[in-house]
Amino acid sequence: MSTPLSLSEMDLPRRNGELAFDAPWQSTVFALAAAVVDHAFGGDREPFRQQLIQAIAAEPNRPYWESWTAALELLVTTLPEQ
Amino acid sequence: MSEGSHHPAAVSPIERRVAALEALLTERGLVPDGFIEEITRRYESEIGPMNGAKVVARAWVDQAYKERLLTDGTAAIAELGFGGAEGDHMVVVENTPTVHNVIVCTLCSCYPWPVLGLPPAWYKDPPYRARMVREPRTVLAEMGCELPSDAEIRVWDSSAEVRYLVLPERPSGTEGLTEAELAGLVTRDSMIGVGRL
Repeated sequence: MSTPLSLSEMDLPRRNGELAFDAPWQSTVFALAAAVVDHAFGGDREPFRQQLIQAIAAEPNRPYWESWTAALELLVTTLPEQ
Repeated sequence: MSEGSHHPAAVSPIERRVAALEALLTERGLVPDGFIEEITRRYESEIGPMNGAKVVARAWVDQAYKERLLTDGTAAIAELGFGGAEGDHMVVVENTPTVHNVIVCTLCSCYPWPVLGLPPAWYKDPPYRARMVREPRTVLAEMGCELPSDAEIRVWDSSAEVRYLVLPERPSGTEGLTEAELAGLVTRDSMIGVGRL
């Protein structure tokens, strides 16, 4: 077996196919939620998670990243005005 | 701008909403320069099931590590350098010839990011979230994961705190493989518990 192991390791992320995001707005809104969690909630993910649970429950068949966006919009309204 | 001739590709309503969020949060100083690009790069290329595969392979070759992993998943996973968001309280559940574990998040999409990356689309969809709890054997069979009829199925619903990772059984006939070669056998689905190796 002559294939270097480093190459087979590089193959691993692709073994299961899917890329994490289908469109740039999805990765943007994912990162925006991370920014709010990190920089407005001190790393506490629970407030965002609660909004996401409610957003999914409100429209169970809405595409996932749209629910994510709705959750972040609602969470942002709870931030103190600056 | 004069109308029409260089009309850019239509911007969808959701793209407009995300752009508005980005503008608002940037104005508030919550989005450092390069933050979005860095997060995207990490989750597209660095954080994914290859991390979990290394954890599983280590547990297969190192009994002491496996015991630490099953006792304190977060700490044992951190030994390999993995941790962070959605990985603060990791619990690793071991498959055996008689017990098959599978993970789900019934309320949203909780998932062990540091070891599996972001969840696949089907994990976040209502059918999987609802049905895996109600009829796991049927759903597993539909996903190509046939289990012996006497195997006990344990479904782990991720909660606010805990994120689960399934430790699949080491396939037979792999005694001569190195740890890195073993890692190459481990699939994402086997670590969610919807596949076997």
